[in-house]
Amino acid sequence: MIPRLRVKFTTNAWLIWLGVLGLFLLSGLIAGLLVFWKGLSLTNLSDRVPWGLWITIDLSSIALSAGAFSLCAAVYLIGLKRYQPIARTATFIGLIGYTMAMLSLLLDIGRPDRFWHAVVYWNKHSLLWEVTMCVVLYLTVLVLESLPILANFEWLRARFPKLAGRMSHVHHYAPYLAIAGLGLSMLHQSSLGAVYGVLKARPFWYKPEMAVLFMFSAVVGGISLTLFASMLSARVTPKARVNDALIERLAHFVGWALVGYLYFRAWDWLATTYTYQPGRTEGLDLITKGPLSFNFWFGEILIGALIPMILLLNSRTRQHTFWRMAALLMVVGGVVAYRWDTNLSGLLIVLSYLPGEPAVAYASYAPSLIEFLAGFGVIAFGLTAFSLGVRYLKVVDHRVAEEEHETVTIKASETVPV
Amino acid sequence: MADKTLSRRDFIKLGAVGAAVVAGSRMIRPAEASGSVEAGPHQWAMVIDQSKCTGCDYCTLACKAHNDVSPEVEWNHVQRVGTLDGKQIFLPRPCMQCAKAPCVDVCPVGASYYRPDGIVMMDYDRCIGCRYCEVACPYEARSFNWTAFEGENPAVPEWGQPEVERRPRGVVEKCAFCYQRIDRGLELGLTPGVDADATPACCVACPTGARLFGDLSDPESAVSKVLREHSSYRLRDDLGTGPRVYYLPADPKEMEVES
Repeated sequence: MIPRLRVKFTTNAWLIWLGVLGLFLLSGLIAGLLVFWKGLSLTNLSDRVPWGLWITIDLSSIALSAGAFSLCAAVYLIGLKRYQPIARTATFIGLIGYTMAMLSLLLDIGRPDRFWHAVVYWNKHSLLWEVTMCVVLYLTVLVLESLPILANFEWLRARFPKLAGRMSHVHHYAPYLAIAGLGLSMLHQSSLGAVYGVLKARPFWYKPEMAVLFMFSAVVGGISLTLFASMLSARVTPKARVNDALIERLAHFVGWALVGYLYFRAWDWLATTYTYQPGRTEGLDLITKGPLSFNFWFGEILIGALIPMILLLNSRTRQHTFWRMAALLMVVGGVVAYRWDTNLSGLLIVLSYLPGEPAVAYASYAPSLIEFLAGFGVIAFGLTAFSLGVRYLKVVDHRVAEEEHETVTIKASETVPV
Repeated sequence: MADKTLSRRDFIKLGAVGAAVVAGSRMIRPAEASGSVEAGPHQWAMVIDQSKCTGCDYCTLACKAHNDVSPEVEWNHVQRVGTLDGKQIFLPRPCMQCAKAPCVDVCPVGASYYRPDGIVMMDYDRCIGCRYCEVACPYEARSFNWTAFEGENPAVPEWGQPEVERRPRGVVEKCAFCYQRIDRGLELGLTPGVDADATPACCVACPTGARLFGDLSDPESAVSKVLREHSSYRLRDDLGTGPRVYYLPADPKEMEVES
């Protein structure tokens, strides 16, 4: 199986890959421009279900970028320095992920020309304000953290060697950036769950676990995506080199993290099964028995957590390239399914405000073609950026990073003591 | 929402719930400030008498004209909520102007805010159209402008003349107790709730007098008196949103007299 998977990307395959992505990018661009021109009436969103596919892409991009802050914290704050090359990949994925989130948010808001309002007009009570501020600040951190990676661009190094040198130098501040990244990410990764969790009018969302579960699933999913993307890159192009032992050890960690995640999810689910509560019970039925039940049982729990947990804890499957990659991809899919189900399950249940019996109505939503095209465009942007990074910036190259890492260790020990 | 028929038993149960809060609802409510905003001299409130409401929709039409609302949007939605002794019961739903409004809490840019008189206002120049307020509102009182409202307003001039600017595409809009009529009326020395020109258009348009408006800070205002003398309820009071719209439950005896 392994030799067959090792398909080397020839120039032709690379061009075909870029061509396919280009098609999605182009159709996404056209769809996006149509949305800006004609407005959100082109979507299937409504006053009852005002958030749909794009918010799922937004939430998933941010969640799957969580590898950046968690691995940077592990490397620069906890001191697990051997994982530095993986943290480097995660940082680049984070930069792409947050840019994707910004793009899908820009599509989603009714007045994209006013996207900067949250930075200027503060409502400190609003979780969405806090999320916006954290995302803007963290994107800045990610740009700084990515400067040494971008400095690897051959053309830049040849044309502007001084600038490239300065950009590489930013790496010396990595521990400080890791602290900022950890703080900002812990805030907004949880707050994204709390955006839903604080709404009393939506009983299925209204619970404190939302923040914790969003944070937990983001860390698990973010590390999984980083590992999967690294392994896939190493399979398809000689430009990417990985240290498989490092990846395997982190994959083992993901397996244990999934145990913890399932524990929280199980209690989150069990605790809501007791006693009928209008709105909450219907929401639970929607995901456990209703139209979202396949997504929930298979997408989130079985394929999204339980099977990959077993595959990553069992040393034989973990050491097997195919099964490890499959397990990591399953975790990523599970996190996306969790975001989609969470958003929809709360919105599809409409709790009546009329006096007397608490009646429940059901709304419906399926994304429109324009939503799909624009959404795929955002995803294609992410894949293009990562592919270019692997090819031209050595984003997945565990040897290069190790050299860099050594110089950093020496410099840091000179400058850090305070 | 689907029409529901309330059985007599359900309605009696509902009455029992009402009776449980009678002690509270008949007391003079101290005018409560909204959020952390310092209370102004006036605290506006609306009282809707379900015994008198015939579901004619005049309120909605007047609202659409005076606030230049798109035909696709209703700030004031009149619903059939069931029958009582064979008579249809209606429930008109404007914005509740909550004292602890979820929409104000969640707005990331502070485009929803409290006025000192309790009105929950929208700053349409600030709204970014994220629709979090729509998700947070328990009363479905908010509408997003999915399209731009262009062309003539079919409710004008039959039901009145627009008094506020039309909202652009991409922002969320809602009822604001016709603040423009209140403000202009007060400037002219009129009393909102008493003088038609200073009172929300829906209350003025109601042919059966089912909608009362006034100042809760004034114990002699019509709303203060009615709330003192009748038992009333508010929608989803359990959520703690503190609505400024009160309902007098339908009383079959009163309805028989009416018809």
